[in-house]
Amino acid sequence: MSFIEFVEGPFYTVAMTIFLLGAAWRVIGIIRIGRKKDISPPKGSAAAGFFKGNLRHFFPRGIFARRTWLHIVGGYGFHLGLFGLMLFAAPHVAFISERITGFGWPTLPRWGFVITAEIAFAGLIVLWVRRISDPVMRLISDWDDHIGTWITFFVMLSGCFAMQESHVFLRATHMLLVNIWLIYFPFGRLMHAFTFFLSRGNTGATYGRKGMNL
Amino acid sequence: MIERRPLPFRSRKAEILTHQTGIKRLSNIFAYARVIAFMLLSATWLIVETGQSDAASHVRAPENAVNLPVDDGPPNTLGTRSDGEIWSDIRHGAVGNPSSSSASGQAIQSLGQDWRLLRENYIVKYAGWFPVGVIGLLLLYFLIRGRMKIASGRSGKTIPRFTLIHRIAHWFTAGVFMILGLSGLIILLGRPVIVPLFGHEVNSIMTSAALQGHNLFGPLFVVALMWMFVKFVRGNFFQLVDFKWIFKLGGLFGGHVSSSQFNFGEKSWFWLLMIVGAVMSITGLVLEFPWFFEDLRLLQASTVLHGIGAVTLICVSLGHIYIGSVGMEGALDSMLIGEVDENWAKEHHDLWYEEVTGKSAKDDTEEGAST
Amino acid sequence: MSDQSKADIAVAKFLEHTDGEVASFFEACVHCGECAEACHFHLSTGDPKYTPTYKLLPMVKAYKRDKAPFSSLKKMVGLAPAQVTEEELLEWEPLVYDSCNMCGRCTLVCPMGIDIAGTIRKMREGYAAAGMVPEGLQRSAEFVKKTSSPMGVTIKALQAQIKHQEDITGIPIEVDKKGADYMAIFSSMEIMGYPEVLGAYSKLFKKAGVSWTISSVAYEATNVGVQIGSGPLAKEILQRVVDAAEALEVKHVISPECGHAYGAIRWAGPNMMGRQFNFEVVHIIELLDQLRREGKIPPGKKDDRTMTLHDPCQIIRRGGLLKEPRSLMDGSCGNFVEMKGAGVTNFCCGGGGGVSANPRAEELQTAAFSQKLKQLDGIDNLEAVVVPCGNCRTVFEDGLDAYERDLEIIGLSELIAETLAE
Ligand code: HEM
Ligand code: SF4
Ligand code: SF4
Repeated sequence: MSFIEFVEGPFYTVAMTIFLLGAAWRVIGIIRIGRKKDISPPKGSAAAGFFKGNLRHFFPRGIFARRTWLHIVGGYGFHLGLFGLMLFAAPHVAFISERITGFGWPTLPRWGFVITAEIAFAGLIVLWVRRISDPVMRLISDWDDHIGTWITFFVMLSGCFAMQESHVFLRATHMLLVNIWLIYFPFGRLMHAFTFFLSRGNTGATYGRKGMNL
Repeated sequence: MIERRPLPFRSRKAEILTHQTGIKRLSNIFAYARVIAFMLLSATWLIVETGQSDAASHVRAPENAVNLPVDDGPPNTLGTRSDGEIWSDIRHGAVGNPSSSSASGQAIQSLGQDWRLLRENYIVKYAGWFPVGVIGLLLLYFLIRGRMKIASGRSGKTIPRFTLIHRIAHWFTAGVFMILGLSGLIILLGRPVIVPLFGHEVNSIMTSAALQGHNLFGPLFVVALMWMFVKFVRGNFFQLVDFKWIFKLGGLFGGHVSSSQFNFGEKSWFWLLMIVGAVMSITGLVLEFPWFFEDLRLLQASTVLHGIGAVTLICVSLGHIYIGSVGMEGALDSMLIGEVDENWAKEHHDLWYEEVTGKSAKDDTEEGAST
Repeated sequence: MSDQSKADIAVAKFLEHTDGEVASFFEACVHCGECAEACHFHLSTGDPKYTPTYKLLPMVKAYKRDKAPFSSLKKMVGLAPAQVTEEELLEWEPLVYDSCNMCGRCTLVCPMGIDIAGTIRKMREGYAAAGMVPEGLQRSAEFVKKTSSPMGVTIKALQAQIKHQEDITGIPIEVDKKGADYMAIFSSMEIMGYPEVLGAYSKLFKKAGVSWTISSVAYEATNVGVQIGSGPLAKEILQRVVDAAEALEVKHVISPECGHAYGAIRWAGPNMMGRQFNFEVVHIIELLDQLRREGKIPPGKKDDRTMTLHDPCQIIRRGGLLKEPRSLMDGSCGNFVEMKGAGVTNFCCGGGGGVSANPRAEELQTAAFSQKLKQLDGIDNLEAVVVPCGNCRTVFEDGLDAYERDLEIIGLSELIAETLAE
């Protein structure tokens, strides 16, 4: 079995399995801790608050955004760029349709891919350099933050290295890093991609129940 | 009743910062740095030595440039005539007819040959030695002079120097610069360095990867450069004190030098980066989007300028990185936490210190009274 | 185990109070530092240790070590955080008690919507159980046990204030009136510092024809138990009010112009007692707004000074009463100007959450008040600030004093009573 066959075959399957089971285990683990039932007479709906909380926190408030606009731009740039690449890069769609879904969807043209990647990279770099050059960030960051950032960065970088699609080795390297990323994901802070809805939702539910207008 | 008291947070903060951001930890590392520097220097010398013999054994006739879409050359150009005859014809206005280029009638011209020779014989051949040389010199300097210490020690009190946006702009630029520098060197030095060391296959892979990376990050550098310009231009205009600084060689070999927010060295670095960076941006964009440019000579000039500019910036940036990190105690604080120690400011940027604090940089006794 | 160390006790409580909600916060925090931008303690000192999420660190560690999914796996390979030590807890104690007003401003800016305030409240349970509580708060707790009031206000003192107000307004206040519709409770601060509020109540309720009373055994609304984070004490304090209200057979208990008191009885209350009450809890602002809408307390001549409204965190941001105080203000003020950032994003005065009851935190509280001052300074020719919370009011007065500023502070009920139509 060649290296590329290994990283796209059995290794990928194992990594994906760890990713899916690990992420599910962790989310379910958090939910299962449970909350005591609140018996104070409610003023509003907790369920509605759960959704409202999730939506509300997508939109920064002006009074804070004026101070932290660069962080917001970097954050959104990176995340939207990453999702754009992950879901709409032509090689990704080909891989997903072949391996998982059985069908594909429209993909980004090459120039679209390049611009999306540039936005994602710019965002990620801004986020990380902010992490190392702000006293607050230096104080609260831990190794998990840095590892998560750097693995993601290398996955993206190896992907862009392979853009000529002329060397199997480069493609295999990208795939190898993707597998490592998938395995690390459920154990580290990358999991925020799945836990955010719980945290926003829980606060939203508490607030919603109190009839708070946030 | 609360009495109105001065809030001692500022000084406490400095303490916390040095304590918690690991700056102290960092400085311990420098105890070992000299040993490491010595080993690196020896290693550099070794590489230079073996590299030379390597290079000597690999001297060969110039080949085609790596990053042009030319394989074995157009099949119909050679005919039955010798190279010399063909070039003579071309020099006198004959027009070749390459099959592999859209720029018909231009792809083969005598200037192209000059360009190729320049690139192969000078740039590609020697470019790599400059950074190696600079690293060697820096190591040597570090071994002899060691770290430039804050003479009066850290005061524990800090003053703000750069805002978070300044710092992010700096590290953004530096990050993109480093990615471009490394990938650029791979593209440039693939043939003389990677091929002999690791072979054609590895070179081909690395060059492909580096080229894709280089093309992707290039436009980000253009943005970064503009950002950097807007954020840092203030304070970087040359002043009278800068001449004194030049005469004293920036205190590199001792002596006190006055300077305002940025000293002559920093200002020069800033303008060099801006001007050469602008050239790099323009030539880089020309090379990235060659189909917009009819004239092949523009592309040729661009590669030459791009290469020379790159080597220049990389070399100077190495010096900058040295002085900004291991070379000078307290310098990195300004880019990591945005604040610098008061004593550092007094010693290296006395005029700026006086301007922002309203205190004299010379008289230490006054300090207690005015805080 | 009898010789459990303090750290063990605290950690056990931390874990007990890390429910699914808190766990989701700890799991979701991405260390983005955004919350620092919202916290007035960080903003006014610039000190990174006042970053909200950092204040939770020991509790996060305990969770990650002993309760989080995969924690046993991580412990096996040595990747779990180290055990929380007593030194660490002591180091964090000022962060937990002095530098958080549980104001909830940081939650607004947090991309993950993490409720730092609520979590600090739970974290204090661990500290209280381990006996690591600032001296000042401990002292108020002891007062409460004796007199039911953190300032040691006795029933005699209350009766004297009632008498005085009766003399001023000429309206009698009936104490312990069985079967009244409403029972009012007050914060000690109001009784001792701003007794005008008693007069304001009697004027307003007389006009509206509301039957109300004050209990001679449970008149204190401040719940030090909630501030310290001691569940048992909080319950004990609450029990008095509930018993008194149910004995007097009132239909409603009026929570005063005080933030934490409202949250303590309205939201935490039934959960602490484990049952719903036989009465309804209303906030005085809610009640006044309702009476005004029903036309029972019509506004008369407006106060024409330039005034602004301070939004007490627990009533506005965390209590959900946003429009009510504003419509009351509109009725009573001719020249009502909002501060920049008014409403849900308003700054805390700096003294909430037990900070003002904690002398050690005085300096920090004054520093934090500077953010409030900045908001006030944004309004030209400001003449008075309406502060509908007894605690905020003292913090304002101390703060203005510390910065050598002069500005009138009034309560909302008083303003409404003063501008009531004849
Ligand atoms: C990676 C290692 C680097 C380190 C440790 C570093 C360190 C520093 C420090 C400490 C300063 C502030 C000096 C002061 O306080 O006056 C600074 C300024 C600056 N850096 Fe860097 N830097 C690095 C890389 C780069 C690179 C690669 C570039 C170019 C793309 C760059 C461009 C600049 C510029 C333009 C300034 C402002 C100087 C001025 O305006 O006069 N830096 N750097
Ligand atoms: S709740 Fe308020 S005081 Fe506490 S950390 Fe958040 S912003 Fe700061
Ligand atoms: S803003 Fe929220 S997610 Fe970000 S560091 Fe603070 S608590 Fe964590």
